[in-house]
Amino acid sequence: MRVGVLAAWWVVLTGVLVWAASRFQGFPLAAAREAAVADHAFRFLTLMASPVFALVVVALLYSVLGRRGQGDPPEPPPYVPEHPAVPRVWFALTAALAAYVIYNPGLVGLAEMREVPLSQLLGGSPGGRVRLASLGGADGDLVVRVRGSRWLWQFEYPEQGVTARELVLPVGRRVRFEVTSTDIVHSFWVPAFRTKIDAVPNLTTYLHVTPTRTGSFEASVDLRVQCAELCGVGHALMASPVRVLEPEKFDAWVAEQARR
Amino acid sequence: MRVIGPVLKGLLYGAVGYVLGGPVLAAAVRAAGGSFPFDLELAAGSVLGTVGWLAGVGMWDVWARGWFGLPLRSWPEEDGVARYFRFTTDHKVIGIQYLVTFLGLLFLGGALAMLMRWELMRPGMQLLTLNGFNQVMSLHGIIMIAVAVAILLGGLGNYCVPLMIGAHDMAFPRVNALSYWLTPPVAVMLLASLLVGGWDSGWTAYPPLSAVNAPGQVLMIVAVVIFGLSSILGGINFLVTIARMRAPGMTWGRLPIFVWSVFAASLLSFVVTQYLAASLLMVLLDRVAGMSYFHFARGGTPVVYQQLFWFYSHPAVYIMIVPAFGAALEVITHFARTPLYAYRWVVGGFLGIVALSTIVWAHHNFTSGMPDWMHAPMLATTEAISVPTGLVFLSALGTLLRGRLWLRTPMLFALAWVWNFLIGGITGIFNADVATDLHLHDTYFVVAHFHYTIMGGEIFALLAAVYYWYPKITGRMYDERLGRLHFWWSFLAFNATFLPMFWAGLHGMNRRIADYPAALGGVNLWTSLAAFLLGASFLVFLYNFVVSWVRGPRAEANPWQASTLEWQVPSPPPVENFPAPPVVVGAPYVYGIPGVRHAVLGAAGGSER
Repeated sequence: MRVGVLAAWWVVLTGVLVWAASRFQGFPLAAAREAAVADHAFRFLTLMASPVFALVVVALLYSVLGRRGQGDPPEPPPYVPEHPAVPRVWFALTAALAAYVIYNPGLVGLAEMREVPLSQLLGGSPGGRVRLASLGGADGDLVVRVRGSRWLWQFEYPEQGVTARELVLPVGRRVRFEVTSTDIVHSFWVPAFRTKIDAVPNLTTYLHVTPTRTGSFEASVDLRVQCAELCGVGHALMASPVRVLEPEKFDAWVAEQARR
Repeated sequence: MRVIGPVLKGLLYGAVGYVLGGPVLAAAVRAAGGSFPFDLELAAGSVLGTVGWLAGVGMWDVWARGWFGLPLRSWPEEDGVARYFRFTTDHKVIGIQYLVTFLGLLFLGGALAMLMRWELMRPGMQLLTLNGFNQVMSLHGIIMIAVAVAILLGGLGNYCVPLMIGAHDMAFPRVNALSYWLTPPVAVMLLASLLVGGWDSGWTAYPPLSAVNAPGQVLMIVAVVIFGLSSILGGINFLVTIARMRAPGMTWGRLPIFVWSVFAASLLSFVVTQYLAASLLMVLLDRVAGMSYFHFARGGTPVVYQQLFWFYSHPAVYIMIVPAFGAALEVITHFARTPLYAYRWVVGGFLGIVALSTIVWAHHNFTSGMPDWMHAPMLATTEAISVPTGLVFLSALGTLLRGRLWLRTPMLFALAWVWNFLIGGITGIFNADVATDLHLHDTYFVVAHFHYTIMGGEIFALLAAVYYWYPKITGRMYDERLGRLHFWWSFLAFNATFLPMFWAGLHGMNRRIADYPAALGGVNLWTSLAAFLLGASFLVFLYNFVVSWVRGPRAEANPWQASTLEWQVPSPPPVENFPAPPVVVGAPYVYGIPGVRHAVLGAAGGSER
């Protein structure tokens, strides 16, 4: 009886949460393939968390409302021996759930983020050659060298021979960012791309992003390069605008920059 | 004067130590033609100052004289309020010293948080400068970390563990006093750092920033290393005490769950704290000795620091939270009037957390440029830690569902702990998952997550435990109505403050910023107003804590009719705790089982109920 009531409330609350999570649209602007992967993983984790959250909340509410004792202190309830199967089942179920979440969206999402098959997630593992720089999957169509310095960003397009203080990208091309710092650790983050990588002195780190929609900082504050690693006085203000353009407009921008 | 004499003497000796180790030594070396950077002057001065402080405050008289064949001097054990201001070895005195000191620091850290929320209330700069904000933020961070590490273990652990296992004191009482008296210099150094430019690198002190910023950083490093020493000494003391000082019949399977949680956390603080000291000392060597571990201009490798640092600092969150698990479960089982559900599974959970916590560190480094292959295994180990943590929830919920709940203030806070840590735990998965963490890392999503786990989890469990043990420690009863008011006010304000931060983080509000885009103004205004309410709720606690201690009604020995040993002696307990060693004959939580007892107290005491 008691178990039946609990189970019914659990199912109802789980249903409500799953419904709400699957309709959740409260993400910032998603302007890259990586953003879609991250948002999908976020929503999926919310769905997976719903039954867990619901179970604890229902048990908590039930015990407060239905198991409240009388008296100061209440008379202890008669002791009922524990059924040894309950913790075992709980352990097995939570372990299975954890294992599944590690697999999906954990490893699956990681592989999607990097655009590599699952089998390559351990690339450069101790059995192979250990490399200190993050590799970040296959190479891109466009290389942008990002340099963080206290407290500004600089973007160099080596193939185009252009250097700029704003980040301008063509839509639909896979960009390979080669990130470094001239002084202390910064972090290269574009909220609309949902990914970041630290800018570390004496090291080049890599990040791959494929912008999927055009836009600009003026239209959405999520399209900005924001330093995400504490770097002293100017940290909060270390941001640069991002513009994602149609390919022909990007080419025009490159040509204009090259003339300067 | 009699009361604060040792403290004044400690301050004097400390000042002499600082001057000799710092300015005088520096002047001597410089006069001899050598170079002596100001950073080194600060470091050497504060180390020698700490030694002087310890000697003056009583370590020389009651301990160190013996090392030189001199007769020791001692004070009477029962000496009123004076024993709280000197090198007293009674674990109950030390517990109160820790509890009051770190409650004070909790309020100081909270006041700094209020400053930050005032600054962040609106876009643009309000009150502080950019650099001022970074200093306030850094100070808030390190003070709260210190509070979180020390307040439960040092305060309630010291007070309650010997009582709960039927011992007369800790295994090493003088080491215990040393652990405590190392902490005031830590607080002084952290605050004094503001006099030499402060430091702006947060509590994590990542180099190269921490290798090149203001000299205040040096005081922070020395303070944290000394605090780590205190933490290691405390850990050893708890391990030996629990292993060797248990009363006859107190088998490992009969230990109250709070004692088990202190044991697990002590194991961690003993094993991992040295990594924090090592990483910070390397930064110090970069600064004062021209080393090039991390300094960018000398070819240093900053990412190595981040690995070493988190090898301590992730287990550290379990040093904070595992005793909170124990305290909350302790309160839950007594106030549900039923034995703790799945006791052995929880103990296994604690030990599983200890083991796993040492192999998850690099989930803080997913975006740091570490080798790619580390992402997958660190994601897996981190998420696996939800399984032993799940056993803690199993125990809490099983106990609640099988019990008859007594909803007094301690229980209310313990129930809030379940809710808060549920949210903190679930959102932890989002930070462990690489696909979501690449965005959420270093944002307010993380800020909200760790405030839900450490404040909502640990501090709410601490409050449950403080209200629970308040009559035992003070011998007075707190005001129940004010306790409930504090509960509802702080619980609602806490959730109103930190729940919206998840949204802010998801929407691009990064951590540790003094200013933010105007689009985030609404959520920050709400958060600031809720934070002020949260801060104000603690004034109710402060009033209740202080006034009840002075004027509250006398507490009986066992107001909760609880079964564990600390409640079978008077409130507060006598210096020797038990007139004769108690004999433990059964499980710790004997509710609803007629005729079964936890322990039989020695006949000499006559305090048997």
